[in-house]
Amino acid sequence: MSDDPDKVWPTGLTLREAEEVHSYLIDGTRVFGAIAVLAHVLVAVSTPWLG
Amino acid sequence: MNNAKMRLVVKPTVGVPLFLSAVAIGSFAVHVAVLTNTSWVRDFLSGQELGSGDMAAAKISDADPNVAKASYVTPAPGGGQEVTIVMPDGTTARAVLKPDVLAAN
Repeated sequence: MSDDPDKVWPTGLTLREAEEVHSYLIDGTRVFGAIAVLAHVLVAVSTPWLG
Repeated sequence: MNNAKMRLVVKPTVGVPLFLSAVAIGSFAVHVAVLTNTSWVRDFLSGQELGSGDMAAAKISDADPNVAKASYVTPAPGGGQEVTIVMPDGTTARAVLKPDVLAAN
């Protein structure tokens, strides 16, 4: 895989653009995961879920 | 960033909706599984104490132990229907139901 940062790949993105798109997705996943973990802790504490 | 190069070969217009859909469908399936395999969510949604639904159901089923547990109806050999009843003590009883046949003149 070429490491030329200005090469435009078949998806129309350069490496820098791909990393930017990916970083937003990772950030969104982290926020979603944090909210989900909090929600699951609250449910585990307040309901018979998990026994 | 790890795995960012996948965006060079998978269009974000395809990859992002695919990823979000996978998360949505997966989490929906897990929550449906929890709802269908537990009773306390129903209790919560109907404003009852959690676990009270199961207790109420157990009380009803234990209220009269002399009630037969189940009955099954199958076609009887020679016509009619055969009813098999599972008695409270676990034994079975059978009754054969046959329609009246009018005698021809």
